[in-house]
Amino acid sequence: MGELHTADEHPPWDGLEGTERHAVCIEAARDGNRLALDVLVAELTPLVWHVARGQGLDRNVAEDVVQTVWLALLRNLGNLHEPRALVGWLVVTTRREARRTWQPNKRETALSDEFAEQLESETGLPEDVTLIDDRDRRLWAAFGRLNRRCQELLRLTVLAGRAEYRAVAEALSMPHGSIGPTRGRCLTLLRGYLETEGGSR
Amino acid sequence: MNDIDPRDNRRGQEDTAVLSELNRLVDEIDPPPADLLDRVKFAIALEDLDVEVARWERAGSFAGVRGGQTGTITFTVDNLTLMVNFTSTGSRHRIDGWLVPAGEHTVEVRVADHQSSTTKADDGGRFVLADVPTGTTQILVHLVNSRGEPGRTVVTPTIML
Repeated sequence: MGELHTADEHPPWDGLEGTERHAVCIEAARDGNRLALDVLVAELTPLVWHVARGQGLDRNVAEDVVQTVWLALLRNLGNLHEPRALVGWLVVTTRREARRTWQPNKRETALSDEFAEQLESETGLPEDVTLIDDRDRRLWAAFGRLNRRCQELLRLTVLAGRAEYRAVAEALSMPHGSIGPTRGRCLTLLRGYLETEGGSR
Repeated sequence: MNDIDPRDNRRGQEDTAVLSELNRLVDEIDPPPADLLDRVKFAIALEDLDVEVARWERAGSFAGVRGGQTGTITFTVDNLTLMVNFTSTGSRHRIDGWLVPAGEHTVEVRVADHQSSTTKADDGGRFVLADVPTGTTQILVHLVNSRGEPGRTVVTPTIML
């Protein structure tokens, strides 16, 4: 602490994007720049939120998990080996935290990947949403019929963005090369469900 | 990254379209709570960065506390348990707490837009803060060892009181 950071008109992350931006913010945060942390929080909290929700947590619990993850980042600022891989670290940490929280009384038997795969459930996803657009309604219903593994994979790949395949693969403990094919199968399933929900495009 | 989507272009484009629809839907249907960002920023605006996070043990009902009523919450981290009971006294709160294992630790209650309230637990691990303002609240326990020397700091996620 000690040194006052003057309001910088051009913070070092200005104009940067993606992993580059995250890395520069992490470096600045390590040097005590609180604004850098707030930038990361503002930009990546939606991702952390959706990962937590994708694990089947209700909204209240997901809120606590989001906070716990950011507090954990504070603590690990100094020993985050790859600041560029921040998104991956957040995804992995959120999933771990969410699973720990999932059944507070049965920590030892936290939700396993194998179990999650079989669990055909919309836990955590609002089912009773009123979607005015018919296409939206059908797509959401079709998405809800996917197994959790597919739901999570699709959520993660769209949320984390194309550049983050490695992070997603690590988070889901999948070999890097199998993400594409698996995602393809999930999308094929989704199309099938979409058709039975009353016509595709 | 070009091993990701080996299928033909047309199919790939359709997939991309479905995925971006999905992305929009997830955001529309299940957005983060409007105040979540502020709560996170408040929760991490700490002097000491080397904190351990206590987790909220949600056995049974906990909804009462969210509604600003009386209720008890238990937080745990490693071998420390923090039990707090909140009693509403109109626009303010009385907080009765209990730390296990006991120790004369310093307990700090942060409330957004207010000054922190601080007290010390007695040798039985009990502490009372009789007059805490209402709002986004976070509890910090600054632990001391048996010789009274400061050690690690434990923090809770924020609670809405």
